[in-house]
Amino acid sequence: MKIRFCINGKDLEIETRFDRRVIDLLREDLGLTGPKESCGSGECGSCVVIVDGETRLSCLMLAAQLEGRRVTTIEGISSPEGLHPIQEAFVEHGAVQCGFCTPGMVLTSIDLLSRNSDPTRKEIRDAISGNLCRCTGYQKIVDAVEDFSRKNREDAQT
Amino acid sequence: MKPVFLPRSKEELWDLLSRYPDAMVYAGGTDLLVRLRKGILDPKVLVCLERIDSLKSVEDQGDRFFVGACATHARLLAEPVIGRLYPVLFQALSQLGSPHIRNMGTIGGNIVTASPAGDTLPPLYVLSARVLISGREESREVPIKDFIIGPGRTGLRSGEIIEGVRIEKMQPYNLAVFEKIGQRKALSISIVSLAALLKISESGIVEKARFAWGSVGPTIVVSPEAESFLVGKRLEEGYLKEAATFARRAASPIDDVRASASYRRLVAGNLLFRLEGHLKENHLKAEQPDLPWKDQA
Amino acid sequence: MSYSMKKISLEIGKSIPRFDAFAKVTGKEKYASDFWSPDMLWAGVKRAGVPHARIRGIKTDEAISIPGVLSVLTSRDVKGTNRQGVVRKDQPVLADDRVRHCGDPVALVVAKDRETLAMALSAIELDLEPLQAVFDPEKALEQGAPLVHERNLERNLLLKGSLETGKGEAAFEECDETVEAEFRLPHQEHAYLETEAGWAILRDGVLEITASTQSPFRDRYEMAEAIGFDMHRVRIIAPYCGGAFGGKDGITVQSLLGLAALNNPGRPVKMWWSREESILASAKRHPARLYYKLGAKKDGAFHALSARVYFDTGPYDHLGGAVMALGLEHSGGPYRIPNANLKAWSVFTNNPIGGPFRGFGVTQANAAMEQMVDLMAKRVGISPLDIRLKNALRRGDRNPAGVTLTGSTGIGECLKKIPASRLWQERETWKKAAPLYKKRGAGLASAMQGMGYGPLIPDTANAKIELNRDGRFRVFCGVVDMGQGNASTYLQIAGEILNQDMSGVELVLPDTARTLPSGSSSASRTTFTYGNALIKASKILKQRLLEKAADLLMAKGSEEMDIVPGCVRHMPSGKEMPLSALAGILSEAERTSVARYRTPSAKESPASDPLLTLHGIPHIIFSYAAHAAFVEIDTLTGRIEVKCYLAITDCGRILNPQAFEQQIHGGIAQGLGYALCEELKVDHGMILTPDLGTYIIPTSMDLPDMESSAVELHEENGPFGLKGAGEIAVNGPYPAVANAIADACGIRILEGPMTAERVLGALNALQRGEAQ
Repeated sequence: MKIRFCINGKDLEIETRFDRRVIDLLREDLGLTGPKESCGSGECGSCVVIVDGETRLSCLMLAAQLEGRRVTTIEGISSPEGLHPIQEAFVEHGAVQCGFCTPGMVLTSIDLLSRNSDPTRKEIRDAISGNLCRCTGYQKIVDAVEDFSRKNREDAQT
Repeated sequence: MKPVFLPRSKEELWDLLSRYPDAMVYAGGTDLLVRLRKGILDPKVLVCLERIDSLKSVEDQGDRFFVGACATHARLLAEPVIGRLYPVLFQALSQLGSPHIRNMGTIGGNIVTASPAGDTLPPLYVLSARVLISGREESREVPIKDFIIGPGRTGLRSGEIIEGVRIEKMQPYNLAVFEKIGQRKALSISIVSLAALLKISESGIVEKARFAWGSVGPTIVVSPEAESFLVGKRLEEGYLKEAATFARRAASPIDDVRASASYRRLVAGNLLFRLEGHLKENHLKAEQPDLPWKDQA
Repeated sequence: MSYSMKKISLEIGKSIPRFDAFAKVTGKEKYASDFWSPDMLWAGVKRAGVPHARIRGIKTDEAISIPGVLSVLTSRDVKGTNRQGVVRKDQPVLADDRVRHCGDPVALVVAKDRETLAMALSAIELDLEPLQAVFDPEKALEQGAPLVHERNLERNLLLKGSLETGKGEAAFEECDETVEAEFRLPHQEHAYLETEAGWAILRDGVLEITASTQSPFRDRYEMAEAIGFDMHRVRIIAPYCGGAFGGKDGITVQSLLGLAALNNPGRPVKMWWSREESILASAKRHPARLYYKLGAKKDGAFHALSARVYFDTGPYDHLGGAVMALGLEHSGGPYRIPNANLKAWSVFTNNPIGGPFRGFGVTQANAAMEQMVDLMAKRVGISPLDIRLKNALRRGDRNPAGVTLTGSTGIGECLKKIPASRLWQERETWKKAAPLYKKRGAGLASAMQGMGYGPLIPDTANAKIELNRDGRFRVFCGVVDMGQGNASTYLQIAGEILNQDMSGVELVLPDTARTLPSGSSSASRTTFTYGNALIKASKILKQRLLEKAADLLMAKGSEEMDIVPGCVRHMPSGKEMPLSALAGILSEAERTSVARYRTPSAKESPASDPLLTLHGIPHIIFSYAAHAAFVEIDTLTGRIEVKCYLAITDCGRILNPQAFEQQIHGGIAQGLGYALCEELKVDHGMILTPDLGTYIIPTSMDLPDMESSAVELHEENGPFGLKGAGEIAVNGPYPAVANAIADACGIRILEGPMTAERVLGALNALQRGEAQ
């Protein structure tokens, strides 16, 4: 069966099973291995993608639900020219260790900042609370998002 | 392979449900797809409600609000009316699952799952919400406490869906508290939760009280004894202690992997003690009908 | 590119973003679990499901007849020894006659896709005759206990050890005060986000396995022997792990994948455990029971210690002996205690497998010992900080295991920095400001962690560095980066010595066909051991390049030459030779340098038992830390919130402050999880917390902001003065939180984790006690 959707800015029509999990469709059929699977049941946030401007757990979504949607994975965030500024902030602040939670963390941060350009540390912690990380203790991730949003506001003022 | 249908209207939905009487209906998928993975369920056909717009609306219906079953938790949190009129529900929604779960999960899903730990249920009980149930032929409205029969069991009949809930606008309370005790602060399933609505007079006397507890019985637990005991009294330790005894008596919790029954029972009562502090924090605003809730976390 | 790795200079001591972060943050990094190809097969395992049974039969006919199933294999198809393990080889690839825990693998299925695989696995019928099982490590040692291994000479004992110093137990008679307590600690799940994964292919006679592993070189030998394949025709490739923490130190998927690939030549086979399978089958931090008695003089000087520690190692060794030995060696903490009697047992049971986990036995011992220190402080009436300062080890002292500390010993320095922190200074005011129904407390803990494998197993690394034709330096990394960032530090080391920025260096990740054996990524050893080897190799290469360039530029000698980014310069004249030009002239052998390093070991031998020496006692280089936890307890629910956390660490000189802090934060986070919420619940060998919804690790909302600093003593043997930082931080949080709870409300939770329910129970017991 055919599903049409937009993936990382490109329109796509793909033959797949409607009951295929979105995470499998992305990782296997499309070779987008940025989204990770770590629990398969919505408990960890490693598989987060952005669908029509909101985060979704791609392990709890079936392929049929993608019909007509705009999907962004971590692969759609950076451009050939370079990293997205939030990705730079993650690198600069040491927010990346093993890196397995990182794609989900980056997308979740982008989602937060699209709704709240000036989040407090508590709001950042709340926003990433559905993304488990076993390496960092979260602090450097919070630092990265906080610093990014501060710099962003300073840039906007100047 | 299972067919997955995404009807765009209720008409399409009724057709599908009559064609596939065994079809399993879902909205956010945060519960159903987990159970499919575990192999607990193996439906032949899946029907996803996410594209039926009329099920996602929040509507002013005069003396009450209608909240569509497929409105996501995030959508409701962003709806100013929820925070203003139903702060107890707002507080529960903001602690439900995680931001991603809230982006996907829906209030109808939380109701129909009928888990004793469902975070929206205690607030909906104290708000006396009514569940609007629809089938192809007819619709009916049932108080939430009658709709939920047992753990995972509701009064939903074959071919029916929850269309939404209706909640009275007029909520004559000026203190609203939801507290959830879980094993951690996010991504957590409640061990005990309490939704409380109180009307406190200017002089600090309880005029009305509604309480509902989650996770301390097969369904949401209420205690009319605790409620009526507190009426006419102040929220002080001595009185709350007696109310807590009524609450513990009403609870019939079980042991599970998260906590023991005795802990749940004890804490179900203890949570009432917190009301005194909440009242002190809020006393200046106690007269305003639209009481801004205090951030819990 | 507005922010590029090219601009980043590599200097020791500077905070440098991690080299691997660029590919990880864009999702481009390929982990072992990311491999996929259309012709790929899937392998999966049928597991026992019962804790102890004799295998009467395995019915596979139905599974093999399912279309799309390529192989169904049992122990009969294993050509080798069918035994894996690092020290004692006792763990079957596929169970032969018996299963010894619920996660034991019984049959291996290879199928065309995951759906078919799942169908085939459920079609396999196991005929199991239940055997009496044993789940309690102390009862397992008693007469008449069921045996986990039939040919076990000493009843269910994997290893026991004892260390005695001074007068041992007899010294308690000389003590003015004695405190005693018993503690119980649960299994802790590693819960790395990347569950066990890999893929394998047999092509041109070579078995190639890419796996998420901490120990590729050891895996090659261990796996080849177990499945009966020529080790020299095995290649193991180890990409970055999506977390490991000790849980991938040893075989997980490797042998099963090898077996699957041997039976399906030419086809790639993938295996990726689900979270549930990972929790069921993987090794965990050993549960421990600890019986402690500490004696002191009136002034608080520690005089005698007795410790008996039982580690439940589950059914297999899996480094359980070594974990026990390290726990035993550290059981007295970083204190001068002249008389000690320390004993430990590692015991077989039918519970899940115990194994290496960050801290490696020290975490359990320290959780107990540091609470004893607070109990004694209270008894003799001096402050927890003062009693620690009074007894803290100094360089030249003997530690409680009897080893003379000849290297840097910074525990005193760490403790002295505690009062300098504002958090600590203002704690009494902060405590008094506790809201209604809340109580606040502050707790301290010291910690120490030995580095390396110990005296007998050679702790060596072999570094290789090459000048590429393009003028960049390539570091061949032989030890895995499981997420801790050691690979990045290697580039920093090479960059420092060879004066290159990040664009001038590159990395080859561990691959038994390309890099050199350098041991496992474990024991806080990676940067220490490989780093030292790399310093040697880089210096040799540098000298050779300077000499060659001097010859070519007709300089007097290499002393007139130096390397600058991209070229070698003749300093007196300013003439330069690009590194790429130099590389073009040199042969591969000339462009490459290899060096070996072996970490020093203690010259003393406190253990008379050669088995203890074999299992790693003693160590000679230790990292130290002083931690403080600030907690708030809700007396209505027992819920604990850690409000702030302070860690001061002595792990020698810091090469990259950011990478150091990452390790400290991560260790604290796992330690706080261990203290507060992580509990693998096991009933009769069955895991009741099978997934991440029931096994609870902390979210971003559950952890506080952490304050970390270092006392940078110089470790003379360390690369640029460094000591290992990977494990030390995990040892502080449990006792610091326990001591903070005691400070807040006078209760001590003797069984971990310190959940809300246990805290409330203890609060109520205390109240009842007062009422009586």
